Amino acid sequence: MIGAQLIGSAFLATWLSASLRLAGPVLLAALGETFAEQSGVLNVGIEGTILLGALASFLGSYYTGMVWISLLAAVLIGIIANIFLAWMYVTLRASQVVAGLVFNVLALGIASAVYRRAMGNSAVPESIAMFHPVHMRFLSNLPLIGPAIFGQTILFYLTLLLAFVGHFILYRTNFGLALRASGENPAAADSAGISVYRMRYAGTLISGAAAGMAGGYLVLAQVGLFRESIVSGQGFIALGIVIFGRWNPLKAAVAAMVFGACDALQLSLQIFGTHVPPQLLLALPYVVTILAISGLFGGKAVQPAALMSPYVKD
Amino acid sequence: MLITSILFLANGASPWQAYFALFHEPFSTLRGFGYALVRASPLALIALGTIVSWRSGFMYLGFEGCFVIGAAATGWLALLTAPGSHIGPLPFFLFLPLAISVAFAAAGAWAGLVGLVRARLGGNEVLISLMSNYVAIFILQYLVSGPMRAPGSLPETPLLPRATWLPFILRGTRAHAGILIALGAAGLVWMLLEKMPLGYEMIVTGFNPFAARYAGIDVGRRLVLAGFLAGGLGGLAGMVEVLGSQHRLMDGISGGVGFVGIIVALLARLNPLAVIPTAFLYGGMSVGADAMQRRVSIPSSITFILESLAVLLVLACDALRYYKVNLSVLRRSSPRAVVEQVSK
Repeated sequence: MIGAQLIGSAFLATWLSASLRLAGPVLLAALGETFAEQSGVLNVGIEGTILLGALASFLGSYYTGMVWISLLAAVLIGIIANIFLAWMYVTLRASQVVAGLVFNVLALGIASAVYRRAMGNSAVPESIAMFHPVHMRFLSNLPLIGPAIFGQTILFYLTLLLAFVGHFILYRTNFGLALRASGENPAAADSAGISVYRMRYAGTLISGAAAGMAGGYLVLAQVGLFRESIVSGQGFIALGIVIFGRWNPLKAAVAAMVFGACDALQLSLQIFGTHVPPQLLLALPYVVTILAISGLFGGKAVQPAALMSPYVKD
Repeated sequence: MLITSILFLANGASPWQAYFALFHEPFSTLRGFGYALVRASPLALIALGTIVSWRSGFMYLGFEGCFVIGAAATGWLALLTAPGSHIGPLPFFLFLPLAISVAFAAAGAWAGLVGLVRARLGGNEVLISLMSNYVAIFILQYLVSGPMRAPGSLPETPLLPRATWLPFILRGTRAHAGILIALGAAGLVWMLLEKMPLGYEMIVTGFNPFAARYAGIDVGRRLVLAGFLAGGLGGLAGMVEVLGSQHRLMDGISGGVGFVGIIVALLARLNPLAVIPTAFLYGGMSVGADAMQRRVSIPSSITFILESLAVLLVLACDALRYYKVNLSVLRRSSPRAVVEQVSK
């Protein structure tokens, strides 16, 4: 009986802690994507941007050994890559889905070519400097929730903070209002004196910076090395989280935790050796997202009205 | 070409040498030619699926999933006909049509469902189809690590019975009959879109759903049909890959082919007849890139860069010249909006 309880609480503790750990990078990417989509740009290219950010931070950490500089490198690469994407989306008015998808392939090519070039063909993964989990004297020792909530890396807390900051900017500042107006009714925004192009560039660049940082998060706080498959669809999951979170940063944070919990549940169940097929649990977040965006629950109405339609100034 | 030459130089190899390696292997050796055909067949089929759906205004991106579903359905059927199992061996001329219809129907239903969601509920097919890829991949993972797993350490099915393999068509190469299926499909898609009233209606639906609705075309039904056909073609790609080159099911069988197929379709400017040469060129380049990696040690991922830059340049040029058929303009209105517009 006591044994079962022990296993139960150990299970809960690892599950909680893994949920939050896995939620971090996707949440960061989703926060940025929220800004892009609110401005009217569906930035599918964040998948590739995360990969480039991961590579930049890996190389940064490998050569300099300083985690903050590597994170900065990831953010910068994300912004640079998305200047190009924004130019495609906004200035050239190319189809956002096509440009984003193709960019993902381009990013994969660039990342693996650069990685090979920098590392040679050595198969041994190099160890790099990483962020370490913080340890708060009393809080981290609390039973059950201690290690989960108070034992994450500093990046996790930074991401949570950014969710609140993002929410504030989006709904409480003039900039946020202008951004949302550009996504909702660009013609009206334009006649009110807002530069729709500038707002959409801003939205795309913010999503680029966040996606680059998410890549840095993956490498510097979770994996500690670079692989071409490191992102494996997390950018697309972030797109799902944005919808699931109804284009709202705080709700996106909750959505990301739900995704993280499903993902972590599968890990924990494997550790404890149950017979539920893990793929069922892995597929769960995607099925939930599909249901959420299928329009069954009126998801269509909340979407920024001008999402995916390029704006032509008359 | 110029940009890639610079890339080659940056990697410390002469561009001429690299281009030679890139094109020599696939286009002047028989073995390389065969491999190029093997890589081209599923790409061409997926590209054809892309053309059918995108020209009908249905931005389907779930070919990775359709490929997997088609492959799984084929593998299941082929294992059923293994000697000593339920049905027993079938003659190949019976098995092949059966496999084609099962793969087509399974993947077609998978994608048609997304079409139904778009037509009836107004959900966004771009994101739904992206998500459905992962669901399909997990279904395959489950199948090969659970019910269909062969005894052994790797999560994969047993080797499919020899009698179900697609015949090899060129002596001394791995080229199989899949490319013939792709050729046939290209002809049929061309017929459908260019010569038949139904295809014309689908294209009109894509260009202008309002006008289509006004002309009495059932827009929703055309969307579901577009999804079904596109998914079916993606499923055939999976079938060709399983019966033609892998001969078993395993995790990670798709490996991004669903997205590369879309790129092939874009490079072919959504023209069904241009798909075959484009897919062959791409298949050849990916074979050549492997050769290049061996010879002048340039990473083979450079083909990704080459291909995607080509598409992006095409996109940019179109936009700069202002005459393109802008896909995103086609997408601006959902069928529900059409109905609203008409009823006003």
